[in-house]
Amino acid sequence: MRRPNPGILTMLPVLVFLLAGFVIPILVVALYSLMPPRTFDLAGSPTFTNYATAFADGYWRPLMWSALGAAATTLICLVLAWPTARALDRFAGRWATLVTLLIALPIFISESVRLFGLALFMMPGGGILAGSIDALFGVSIGTILYTRLAALLGLVYIHFPFVLFPLLLGVSLVPKDQVAAARDLGASGWQVFREIEAPLAAPGAAVGALLCFVLSLGANAEMNILGGQAVTVITNAIEQRFNYAQDWPLGAALTVLTVLLTAAVVFPVLRRIDVDSLARR
Amino acid sequence: MGTILSTQAVSKRFGDVIALDDVSLEIREGEFFTIVGPSGSGKSTLLRILAGLETPAAGRVHLRNADITDVPANRRPTCMVFQNLALFSHRSVGENIEFSQKMKGVPPHERREHALDMMRIVRLPESYYGRRVTHCSGGEQQRVALARALASDPEILFFDEPLSSIDYRLRKILEVEMKDLHRRTGKTFVYITHSLEEAMVMSDRIAIMKSGRIVQSGTPTDIYYRPTNRFVAEFMGEVNVFELAGGQIAELGIAVPAGAAGCLAVRPEFLRKLGDGERADVRFPATVANDYMLGSRTHYHLDTGKRILVAEVAAGKAAEITVGAKAEWGFDLSDAALLDE
Repeated sequence: MRRPNPGILTMLPVLVFLLAGFVIPILVVALYSLMPPRTFDLAGSPTFTNYATAFADGYWRPLMWSALGAAATTLICLVLAWPTARALDRFAGRWATLVTLLIALPIFISESVRLFGLALFMMPGGGILAGSIDALFGVSIGTILYTRLAALLGLVYIHFPFVLFPLLLGVSLVPKDQVAAARDLGASGWQVFREIEAPLAAPGAAVGALLCFVLSLGANAEMNILGGQAVTVITNAIEQRFNYAQDWPLGAALTVLTVLLTAAVVFPVLRRIDVDSLARR
Repeated sequence: MGTILSTQAVSKRFGDVIALDDVSLEIREGEFFTIVGPSGSGKSTLLRILAGLETPAAGRVHLRNADITDVPANRRPTCMVFQNLALFSHRSVGENIEFSQKMKGVPPHERREHALDMMRIVRLPESYYGRRVTHCSGGEQQRVALARALASDPEILFFDEPLSSIDYRLRKILEVEMKDLHRRTGKTFVYITHSLEEAMVMSDRIAIMKSGRIVQSGTPTDIYYRPTNRFVAEFMGEVNVFELAGGQIAELGIAVPAGAAGCLAVRPEFLRKLGDGERADVRFPATVANDYMLGSRTHYHLDTGKRILVAEVAAGKAAEITVGAKAEWGFDLSDAALLDE
């Protein structure tokens, strides 16, 4: 009697889970996007009407806002995380562990709770910030709550750790003596960054950036809680199509467009970076 | 030959550990200067201070007449070859060698010409230009590191034990290449190592360090034949050390005019078997306990009844000495060095 390959056997639970939870739903959504508008079964004849509607009705706007928001969030997080990661790597020890912990802890608290906290902080008049300043200095300040800026702030706040930790791993891959050698050979601080640190830390930066971009692209709590009505992102639009408008095929078409946009960003980056160098750590 | 680099009373401590204690030295223009010492002797710290990668807690560093104590490494006309070479692992051989010129903004074709010149100097084939450094062998990487350092046209090259992790055969080859390279380029080389052999083969002058201090400096010949203290004598190869007390070699009871106290160091090659009537300043009977063939010479362990001494005899003269034979051995005081401790 031949025994089944143990590799396949151990992979089976994950395979079943991925198939049922990821591949099949995606296929169903893809199929729905080809169905006639406002139908609720997969029996109709395939059509691209929903995609045409998506562009004609201006759904590229929320998609663009999502992409812009995700790109801006990724960029800001990278710029903020780089010096943090470098400092944590250089001064590794008790303090670094403490700081790391402080940055990591909020991840264990529900995202909505943290965002409502931020909203309370930014609330005008009696909000934590405005109220405190008014009470202490007698100065009334305005608020950025319910603006795009507030939403962006929320996106950065929530996704910062997802950039920092992969980047920290990337920075720790940069050999200290190569940096010293570059300096010794006459490189300025900026040149050391461009020629040595950035390329050697790139796998970590890329993984962090991808995580941040993909998560931000699918985010909507930040817009709903901090952005108010200031901006509609693609996730809001998709939710509205499926729930209120009861137009599943159009919602599905928007979903497929979002997935394609994500894939167009993720795969070229993944192909260029050596994720293995991180995995080996 | 004037002085190119010097330190005046340089000190450095790390926490409770004194890494350097009042070190003053002078390195001459164009010489191959080696700092030797066991690990923890402070030689790496001294090199890092000379190179500008570390600043001393006290004392000054001068390049010719200019005080460069607080000038960082990248502003000094010097270059360091690191212990593990620190080649840029994500770059090609050519890009590594061109790095310093690229930082200065030299145009690509000019950089390339220069890099190929450097590769010729260190005897790297031109075909290696585009190769990744991670695909080079240990010896080739060594040459890339040398070429990269030379390409920045430094006045002084520093070497931080670059040969320590290389196997014996290749190390011997690279030692010779390094000395040849020094002669060809005429630059000042400052080298640190814990290996006496390496230091002897390559250097014009050697400084020996112990516990953050320079205990002796001089030419390899000086240091080998005229050590001034026991640490240097024993660090630089095999040696017979006799304690002096009351103007006598204590264990042999032989009076010596050299000094009343301290030690007398005699290299194994100066101990010789005495023929009938042959005279020597110091003579004693001993039995040959064992022999060790070293190729061109043989080491003999001589048992004096009180201790074991080491004698070295050139291959041609070894035939007359047999293990177990008792004979008179001796040496002349002119071949011995007086140690102050």
